[in-house]
Amino acid sequence: MQTLGNFKLPPFFNYPPYFTLQPVRDTREKQVQLWKELILDYCKTQKIFVIGLEEEFPLFSNPAIERSLTHEAREAFLTALVSEGRAEWLDKGHRKCLILWHRIQDWADIILNFVKDYGLENSVTTVEEIRSGPESRGTDLQGVDRIILMRALKLLEHKGKLAIFKGTSADDEGIKFSS
Amino acid sequence: MRRRPGIGGLQTAAAARDQYRLLGENVAKIRTDLMKEQLATFRSQLEDFARKHKNDIRKNPAFRSQFHEMCAKVGVDPLASNKGFWAELLGIGDFYYEIGVQIVEICLATRAQNGGLINLQELCSLLRQKRKGSREAVSEDDCLRAISKLKVLGSGFEVISVGKKKLVRSVPTELNKDHNEIIEVAQAQGFVTVDELERRLSWTSGRAIDALETLLKEGFAMIDDGHRDGRRRYWFPCVSSISSLGGSDA
Repeated sequence: MQTLGNFKLPPFFNYPPYFTLQPVRDTREKQVQLWKELILDYCKTQKIFVIGLEEEFPLFSNPAIERSLTHEAREAFLTALVSEGRAEWLDKGHRKCLILWHRIQDWADIILNFVKDYGLENSVTTVEEIRSGPESRGTDLQGVDRIILMRALKLLEHKGKLAIFKGTSADDEGIKFSS
Repeated sequence: MRRRPGIGGLQTAAAARDQYRLLGENVAKIRTDLMKEQLATFRSQLEDFARKHKNDIRKNPAFRSQFHEMCAKVGVDPLASNKGFWAELLGIGDFYYEIGVQIVEICLATRAQNGGLINLQELCSLLRQKRKGSREAVSEDDCLRAISKLKVLGSGFEVISVGKKKLVRSVPTELNKDHNEIIEVAQAQGFVTVDELERRLSWTSGRAIDALETLLKEGFAMIDDGHRDGRRRYWFPCVSSISSLGGSDA
């Protein structure tokens, strides 16, 4: 089986027609389903948060069979993910896509558990600390995309679980968790 | 019992044994009768259900598999019986019936990829994977037998020979001679192009495109525009040995 680093590629990745958008509905649905699973799976194991449609991305081409996805196909697969809430376009032109291998709601739950585990209730931290502080090392929060993290934090703020405020440095926000 | 001497004693002992045996048989008979009665009630209920939904069971593969699942849940194995109602309705011996059901399941699970056309070798290897741990080995011949029994289900299960290979068709779509010839050509590389069909079969491009469009629409073929020569290739999952292709939806 072909691998990308430590990632095992599914058999369909070696079957050329899966790199061309299929015109027949049933066949295309199956094709899109397989690609959606592959993209989510790959991003999750490799901790990838953003896919640029015009950039190099290992899943978008398979040198072994000399096939690569057209722009149209890339957009179709990602659009399918967006429609399921598993991705979001970052721009109107659909050039960059945020991949939510955890949904925002799930990220929010992960943050709450993190707060509970480290007894951070009623204490103050910063967004950067959550992403790169020693506490989050080894958890899914380590290195999490800033946009996703902010989205999840805003969701929690909305629910009254925390307050976000401007910190001393311009590019970092402070967080105060409620109990 | 004190043993009495003489012929009289022996006769008495024999008579007593007979009496015991009779009594024993009676008790056993009452028990089995009761059991039979219960079973009969239950079976008639199940038969009623099967009769009522016979058409669904025969025609709708999804319903059929659900029906089997239901039977399995209540501990009844309709496949285990060779005689009586189930045989009349479905006409299948237990072993082949079991394989048959598993073949139906495999065909359903892979239909999205191959449109309902799968080559026999691949089907058998998937079947063996599925039956891992069961004692009986399954040969291609067994598969063929089971499939021939499946015909009574009326869902169009059929084995067709294309070139050297045998393909199992699990959808009612009939393939005509042109389609068969295309699939035969595809066996060499897994795909065909319109040019190739014109050359190999001396067809007009219209004839080739027409037949390919049908195969595409039925889900038997997939297009591939990615080759650098720019020619559209039509791939046939049913002839490529990609056993585990898309096994994620098992």
